[in-house]
Amino acid sequence: MTNTCDQIRIQMGLYLDDELRNGERDEFEAHLQSCTACHEVWEQECRFLERVRAAEPLYVASSQLRERIERNISTSSEPITASHNLRNRIQEALRPSYSPEFHPHLPRLVALTAVLLAVAFAGFWLFSMRSKPDRGLQISGPSDFALMAVDTHLRRLRGQLPLEFISDSPELISSWFAGKVSFSLKLPNYQESSRQEKLYRLEGARLVALKNDYAAYVAYKMKQSPITLVVTANSVALPSGGEEIVSKGLKFHYDSINGLKVITWSDRGLTYALVSDLEERGQQSCLVCHAGTKDRDFIEGLKITSINR
Amino acid sequence: MNGIFAYLACYSLWPQASGGDSLMGKTDKSISDFRQVALEHLDALFGFAMVLTRNRTEAEDLVQETYLRAARAFGRLVPDSNLKSWLFAIMRNIWLNQLRHEQSGPQFVEIDAEDESRWQWLDQTASDPHAVLMQKVEREQVRSAIERLPVRYREVIVLRDIEGFSYQQIAGILQCPAGTVMSRLGRAREQLRSLLVRWQAGTVTK
Ligand SMILES: [Zn+2]
Repeated sequence: MTNTCDQIRIQMGLYLDDELRNGERDEFEAHLQSCTACHEVWEQECRFLERVRAAEPLYVASSQLRERIERNISTSSEPITASHNLRNRIQEALRPSYSPEFHPHLPRLVALTAVLLAVAFAGFWLFSMRSKPDRGLQISGPSDFALMAVDTHLRRLRGQLPLEFISDSPELISSWFAGKVSFSLKLPNYQESSRQEKLYRLEGARLVALKNDYAAYVAYKMKQSPITLVVTANSVALPSGGEEIVSKGLKFHYDSINGLKVITWSDRGLTYALVSDLEERGQQSCLVCHAGTKDRDFIEGLKITSINR
Repeated sequence: MNGIFAYLACYSLWPQASGGDSLMGKTDKSISDFRQVALEHLDALFGFAMVLTRNRTEAEDLVQETYLRAARAFGRLVPDSNLKSWLFAIMRNIWLNQLRHEQSGPQFVEIDAEDESRWQWLDQTASDPHAVLMQKVEREQVRSAIERLPVRYREVIVLRDIEGFSYQQIAGILQCPAGTVMSRLGRAREQLRSLLVRWQAGTVTK
């Protein structure tokens, strides 16, 4: 094998992948015409690649997946609005570090600054997760899970999240989720068990994508105000950020995002997010639903904690 | 933290989008185009998801998350050149983030142990005389061989030989230099070929 042949063998893959420049390709083809050894190698390579390429498609998506994706794409319309949302969300997350002499007309500087700030923020966030004090008074940005819950709530408001299961029965909705989500969800029935006058009602449920999993989405309505409950497993999301309020061993994270109230908390292996546009502060929006129930002392606990702050 | 990196990875053009209008101002037409065109790549994306995860459930979730993110980002982060490679890049970013999230770090599992179940179907089907079935066997063989490669090899093989992306596009999807694509592809094909040769020798001598 001559030097040229060595060169040709190195270029073989590039030639077969059509990655050689015109001049190189011409030289390559000229050599192939004149050298039987290289021609032989080329033929072998061709047969091998044909064999691999004949295996396409390797897998075919199931019709259920196709339907689900079609439904998702059609429900997540209005991407311009969504993009504003996203921008707000990122800005919200970055806000503490923004400086007043920020120049919006220098896109490259903006990009660089945003990346640096995001990295700084991410570092800060990691630090705050690792070394969270027991009685943390610092208020950090809302968690991804809280943001996702708000996004879900907004999409529901825009009519982009049709319910997959319509029912006002906590039992039926709980059993509808069985086998669809990776955790067991049992919705409470505060109103029934406490014979409380109906302040809010269940509307229905659906699945929403979250990371590598589906989260449970439950829609409530109080008067004309929709309330969103998103539930996932601890392993998928944990509550963090916002204003922390501790009561009866549970730590609630209270955020206000785009004028919506979000409370996230974790209990017995599940992480919850409750979103509403109620005027009241977070803990009081619990009180609105749970007034007159045995949960009252629980809510009172929240209020006392809040006064002490 | 993963969330922030996911934003950076998937929406890295965002700050520019607020500065100029080159990526903004997409019309409704392009959005409906997205719905139409994006679904054409469903099988390809599902295939890539299978290649990455080797698990049907995980692959389906990965595909769904990819479409969700793409639909949200579309209109602002429009892939000028190639919607398909853009979708692939989003998918791989999500998958990488999930790997990091699993805390044990990226698991580039090398499969060296012989997998009995894979050999069984080879024995069963190799004796069947029908040509059509042979073709199926052939495809099954190639797919199984690809599945047995380390993930860094199987992803580059699938992106090039099954999906037909250029080196430059693959470099964009994998976030690595084109030279790395070239050398990795060479090694991947070498390993795939020797695996197929070994299997063929195995069935022939049976
Ligand atoms: Zn030669």
